[in-house]
Parts: sequence; C-alpha cells; structure tokens
Amino acid sequence: MKFDTVIIGGGLSGLTCGIQLAEQGITCAIVSSGQSAIHFFSGSFDLLGKVEGREVTNPLESIKMLPPSHPYQRVGHHNVERLAGEVPRLLARAGLHFSGMAEKNHFVLTPMGTMKPTWLTLEDFTCFEQNGELPWKRATVLNFKGFLDFHTLFIKDGLTRYGVEVQTRDIAMKQFEAIRRNPSEMRSSNIAKVFDAGDALNQFAEKVNELTEDADVVILPAVFGLFNTTVTADLKARVKKPVVLLPALPPSTPGIRSQILLRQRFQELGGTYLLGDIVQEGEFKEGRLQNITTANHGDIKLEADHFVLASGSFYSKGIVAGPDKLYDPIFGLDIDGESDRSQWFDKQLFNDQPFMHYGVKADEHFRALLNGQPIENLYVAGSVLGGANPLKEGSGAGICMVTALHVAEQILQ
Amino acid sequence: MNKTNEYDVIIIGGGATGAGTARDCAMRGLKVLLVERHDLATGATGRNHGLMHSGARYAVTDHESASECIKENMILRRIASHCVEENDGLFITLPDDELSFQSLFVQSCQKAGIKAEIIDPDFARRIEPSVNPDLIGAVRVPDGSIDPFRLTLSNVLDAKIHNADLLTHHEVTGIIRQGDRVTGVELMNHQANEKVSYYGKVIVNASGIWGQHVAGLAGVTVNMFPAKGSLLIFGHRVNKMILNRCRKPANADILVPGDTICLIGTTSERIPYDEIDNMYISTADVDELIREGEKLAPSLATTRILRAYAGVRPLVAADNDPSGRSISRGIVLLDHKERDGLSGFITITGGKLMTYRLMAEWATDLVCRKLAVDTPCETAEKPLPGSDKDDFSVKSATRKIYSGLRVVHRSAQDRHGSLAPNIASRDEVDDAMVCECEGVSIGEVKYAIKDLHVHNLKDLRRRTRVGMGTCQGELCACRAAGLLGEALEDAGRAKDDLANFLQERWKGMHPIAWGEAINEAQFTSWIYEGIYGLKAENN
Repeated sequence: MKFDTVIIGGGLSGLTCGIQLAEQGITCAIVSSGQSAIHFFSGSFDLLGKVEGREVTNPLESIKMLPPSHPYQRVGHHNVERLAGEVPRLLARAGLHFSGMAEKNHFVLTPMGTMKPTWLTLEDFTCFEQNGELPWKRATVLNFKGFLDFHTLFIKDGLTRYGVEVQTRDIAMKQFEAIRRNPSEMRSSNIAKVFDAGDALNQFAEKVNELTEDADVVILPAVFGLFNTTVTADLKARVKKPVVLLPALPPSTPGIRSQILLRQRFQELGGTYLLGDIVQEGEFKEGRLQNITTANHGDIKLEADHFVLASGSFYSKGIVAGPDKLYDPIFGLDIDGESDRSQWFDKQLFNDQPFMHYGVKADEHFRALLNGQPIENLYVAGSVLGGANPLKEGSGAGICMVTALHVAEQILQ
Repeated sequence: MNKTNEYDVIIIGGGATGAGTARDCAMRGLKVLLVERHDLATGATGRNHGLMHSGARYAVTDHESASECIKENMILRRIASHCVEENDGLFITLPDDELSFQSLFVQSCQKAGIKAEIIDPDFARRIEPSVNPDLIGAVRVPDGSIDPFRLTLSNVLDAKIHNADLLTHHEVTGIIRQGDRVTGVELMNHQANEKVSYYGKVIVNASGIWGQHVAGLAGVTVNMFPAKGSLLIFGHRVNKMILNRCRKPANADILVPGDTICLIGTTSERIPYDEIDNMYISTADVDELIREGEKLAPSLATTRILRAYAGVRPLVAADNDPSGRSISRGIVLLDHKERDGLSGFITITGGKLMTYRLMAEWATDLVCRKLAVDTPCETAEKPLPGSDKDDFSVKSATRKIYSGLRVVHRSAQDRHGSLAPNIASRDEVDDAMVCECEGVSIGEVKYAIKDLHVHNLKDLRRRTRVGMGTCQGELCACRAAGLLGEALEDAGRAKDDLANFLQERWKGMHPIAWGEAINEAQFTSWIYEGIYGLKAENN
C-alpha cells in the first residue's frame, strides 16, 4: 500500500497531523494500536501552565523562558504562536468547540476541588477567569450511587477552601441496575451509554432539579455524551441550575467522544485509519525510510514519501525502558535519556521525574535521528519527543498539537 | 477500650510475635494491651518471603531450628488454614551444585522429623512445570506459603475476642520505671499527636529489631545485629510449589508463590542499626535476585516485576554476650529480672516467622509464672478466627471451587476464611469492585474499616490487598481513598493519605522502574497529578 504520508500513532498528535495534512489534500494513513492518552482527557488542553514551579499567566510569553532544547523553543516562538492559534480552528472543524486562548491561561476546577490554569477547555466544561474566585455561594455535588470514580467529598473539601458552602448527594437510577450486575462495569463510559439512548436523561434531570433547589450550581461527573454528541447540551437545557462537569477517573467520556470526532474528521477527509494494528519495523535505504511492516498487514508493507512517528511516551509504548537501556521499539532510533537506569527516577514520586523528559532525538526539522544521522523523511511529533516534562509544565496537549502541526508544515513544504 | 489504663500485661510490637503473645496471654485470662507504632505486620513480619518453612532449609546447619519449624509448620496448617497454602516445596540440584549434598540434606531432614523424599528429576519437571528443566536432582519437602498479614491480623482478632485491647499508630517513647521495676509505657499517639501512659504488671518487648531501642528505653542492653534481606515480587504466579536450591543457604535461592504473585529472595547484608528504618534496595541487589531467580524458574526472565522491598532479620546476641560473637537464629527469651535485675520486663526476640507461636508461648509462660497464673497454653490447638472447623467442610470446599460465585466473594473467602460472611453483600453496590486486580469489593473495604483496625490506606491494603495487584493502585487507590474519607469523615486527610499511599507504592516500584512498571508509574502520575491535581502535601 502506498500513501503520501504514514503516521504512526492515533493519539492527539497523530490525528492533528493527519487532519492538517488531509485538509491539504495529502493522502494519509494513521496506524493506531488502540487507546491513546485522549482516553484520560481532563476536558482541557494545556499549552503551558507552569515554568520552574511558578504558575504561568501568558503561555506565549513564558515559552521564551524554557530551555533551548524544549520542543516549543525548537518549533520557535513565532511558530508556536501561529500554530497555537490554528489549533482551536482545526478542532472546531472536527466538531469540537473549545474556549480559551494562548495569550492568557484561564482556570478550571479539578476533581480535587482545586483550580488549575489551562489553555483550551471543551464546551462541556466551565472556565473561570481568576484563580481562587468562584461565582457561587452554595453548590450541590451529585454522584451516582455506587459510582466510585468520582469523589464528591474531595470536591467539597476543595470548594470549601474557596468559601463555597457544599452539599453532597447520591442519586440512584434504576437504569444502572443492568450495568451493575457485572461489578466492574460501573464506569464512566458505561454510564454515558445509558444516557446516550432512552429516557434516562429526562428522569435524571428531574431528580437533579429536585435536589438542587437551594443551590447556585450543580456539580456532576463528566459522564455525558459518548457517541451522542448532543447529550451534554440536552442535560444543561433540562437542569434549571448552571451545570458544572468535572472529570472522573478514566476512561474519560468527553475524551472518547473527542477521539471519535477527530478520527471521523480524518476519515471524512479521505484518511485511512488502521485501528488495532502495531508497526513492527521499517526498511531504510540511503537515509530514507522506505516502508513499514505492521502486525495485521504481514507482507503488505506500507510505503510512503513521508513518515511521522507520533507513538507517544512510555505508557503508549512509544519508547520502552528495558532493565539496561531505553529504546524506540520500532526503529531503534536515538534516545534522549540516561542509559543508567538508576538515573531514571527520583525516589519522591511527586518530584520532577527524569524519565518524564525522555524521548526520541530529532534534528532542527524534527526529523528522527538514527546513529546520529537524521532520517530524511521520518518526522517526530508529540510526547514521543524528549526535552520536556509535560506533567510538571502543564504542556502535554500543547506539545502534541503544536509539534504535530509543525511537522505537517515541514512535510507540506 | 477498657476504662482504666492498667493492664496485667502490655506487649510492645504488632508483628506476628507480639500479636501471638497478645493472643496467648488473653486466652489465659490476662488483661492485655498490645501497642504498635505503625500498623500490624509492618516490620520484619510483613517483609519476608511468606514461606511456611518445613525446616528443611535449616536441617543441615541448625538442627534445633529445623525441628522447631516442622512442629510449628504442622500446627499452623491446623490453626491458621486460611493463612496457609499447602504447596509443598522442591529442593532442586542444578548442574552447578554438588549432587552429593542431597544425601546429607535428606538425612538431616529426617533427623529433624521433616519428611524429605528424593524424587526423579523427570517427575519434578512434571509436578512443577516452571522449574529449571536442567535440574539433576530434586527433594520434595512439606514447605508451604503463608500470608503474614492475615496471620498477624487473625492473632489480633482472637486476642480481641478474648478481651485484649489494641493500639496501632502508638509509638513507645518511654518505659516507666519505679526503681528497679518496670510499671508502664509512655506512648505517642500519632493519630491525635498526643502522649498517653498505660500501666502494666509485666511489659513484654516483642518489637523485633527495634527491641534494642525499646530495651534501651528501659535502661537495659540487648544487642541486635540487623541483617537486611531484599526481595522481588513478580506480577504473576509462575510456580505452584516452593522452589529452593539444595545447597547451604545462599542469596536469592527461594522462590515462593503466594496468592496471585511469586517472590524471590533474599539477599543478606549486615547493616548498621541506625539504618533499620531507612532501607533501600540497590541496583546490584535487584540484578542478583533476577539472575538467581531465573536459575530456579527460567520464565522469571520474562515475567513482569511488580516491586522490590527489604526487611531486617532481628538477629540477636545469645543472652549475655554483648559482643555478638554467638549470634542466634533461634528463639531468645530474656527475663530482665534475672539478667539485669529489672523486674516486670521481658524481651522475646530472635526466632522466625515460622516459630512466632512458640515464641509467644515461651513469653506467655514466663509472664504467667511472674503473675502466678497456671492456665495452660492452648494456642496450638484452638484455630484462629477465619480458620474455624467449618472451613474444612465439603460445603466450604465446593464453594471455593464453584465458579458461579462472584470474584469478590471468592477473593474475600480466600482472604478472610470463615470470617468472610461478616462482609456486607446485601446488594450490588456492596459487591461493586474497588480493586479489579485483587477482587476487593465495597463491602470488604467497609468491613475492614469497621472491624479490622484500619486508619489509613496502607492499613487497608494490608487487610484487603487493595493496591497490591499488577497496577499497584492506579485507580483503586482513589476509589478506596474516597470510601475511607467518607468513613472517617475527613476528606482533607484522605487526600494526604492518598498522596502518601502513592508514594509508598512508588518506593517499591522505583528500584525496578523499567518495562511495565515505569509505564504504569507514568500513567498513575498523569491521573493523580495531571488530572486530579494531587500534590505531595495536599493541604
């Protein structure tokens, strides 16, 4: 099979890159092994939330303070500004509507009832201008009886610190009896399926209205609208009080929905999405990647003019740690990281973990390095790139999408 | 809690020995208080192989220990059946080992009363398919696996049934003396952050390696010689039987299966006394354990490692030998009145997990002599709570086998034995799973919080196995923290507790942080820090 570009990885960076290329008429294939980090999407995309432990107000300005090896610095300040502006438009064309801008972080509530800065927030969720100021006096936090992946008391504890008076309540729904029969099944995505179809949403909204007469706001877990994209809006229309949704433990319902919409957009543009397939190896000739072999396609190799490696970090198995080395399991590309495993970690879990910074090495055009030499037509995008701690910086989604768009531009040139 | 703070006997140390002593004393009608600075089984008791020694390992080098082990081994099969897996063990000879050692080994076992049977290597490969196929000799012995957390808890529950009191998270900060008589203990209550005093006619120092420190508080000298032993836990159970090397005891030559996992250990390294609370596992320790483990069961080379941890053997100078020239691996019972002229204070130490009951019996006999009580010891006959006779019934056996039972019910049955019916299972909410890896239900968590002395998530883990599975608490930690926060009505503390719990899981993961372990750690950090916004010091 022959494509203009083959992208390895169907997560946020792979899909962003694929959509951008397909919109320009490039014939693309994405090879995806399955779940990606979008499945634990919080509802917001961060561009840059912290630098050296200090909260960032203007991400575009603060990017300049990052070390030269950081992916943003390597993309270049002006490019980041331009591409970050492009991101919400690309998402909107896929049917995903976000608020926020790269010049000024806004704030969202976490499931601990604390506030954190962020860049773009999905319309399901609620944005706040200021940290520490909430526009309500009384909030009611509701959960489904026996749903263990949402913690009303943690939220109450956090909100109380902001001066909000909080009540917590459980709601029992007979529609959940069926999913409860298998005890492991009371999870976000299965609750969402109940609301996707049938009259459960109506009944639920009525119960919410009964329980929240005295409240200024009702807080619920974000378990609405998995395949049916109108459920969240329907819910908000039926509930008389403002509804604030907070993330629950994964799988993330808005995350799965976002993944589906991005994939649909890519496929509607003519892209080929190979789901549940794993890239095994590549064939190189004179510094170029000729083709790749996948588990499902056996002898049928995927050929392309350009390839993009967007295979994610450790948890996505984009890079692998063995007892005595770090490696890229597909091509054996050069890795930016320590070889001595005793240097990979800090003994304090919540400290900056060195391994979080590791990734595949790339040259100034984001072409992958193999034995110190760039592969002419193999680009690297997203969290498989080294040089940042996206968790500590609050930069994960930003790096994924900005580097993906940057790589797409390199290919289009 | 008794209204008065005066007891016949106060036992310091919530390991197997302290818990066993509390049970024995309480069964003999004494008024008992057991105090523990952290949680039950947090010292050496909870940091070993979980091997129910037949004694075979000691048969060649230490006849007395070997014969004590086999006697206690047989007793525990009767009284602690729900803590025990009767797996049997193989002592294998590899091409590197001397096959001639085998006959000395078998003779020594038989002399100590241990049934040791030479079996054909082919037969060994058939009954234990995970064993190194290159073996040239095998001896079958009555080793087993034992859950030290469950064992300690059962002893405590029985002590409580016999009216004993228990204080966990209470650290001994002083021993109260009147002249040359010990009369009580001064405790720091770590939960309330306040000091309290309790008085007793006899104080039993059963604090393992920390016994040197506790004896020091009373003004007497007990010299302990800490030996660190490191172990690895694998994420799957590769072997059914215990695998040992048939040679003189050496590093990393025992592979013990337990529940869903297996353990390889141990190394042995003398460490300074001031390092006993701060143990680390080196890269070299981990590499040696893997290297030696693969020799016992080659599939360990590709088996995921879950954790690394270390414990300290409480080796002690035999009685009046402060130099430590004659270190004992046997039981050491010190009557400080005879030894040091200090009345009302005794130390029970040395020994092994396997001989905890016998140690408790010796200590209790001495306490009873001092208090002129002549009730005989019954701990070798009466089953522990959870191992009542019912559990041996055909009905119970079929229940265990019957696959229609829900996972949470079967897991609870395995963990709590005949106490499992105490777990609420009224409806589907009670049966909902908190921890998918280990099959822990909401009902089981609530039972543990209510009846099994749970103050935090780490305690809960030791009672239920929450967070002990392959994912090491990835999602269940948060679910359990939510339930605990609700029960304790303190969400702020529950958040800190969650952060502490995740740090404690990481402590055992970072020495083996590659492969799936590093992947899970990264995922866990994204969930808790990235999405939830949890910090090390949440408040």
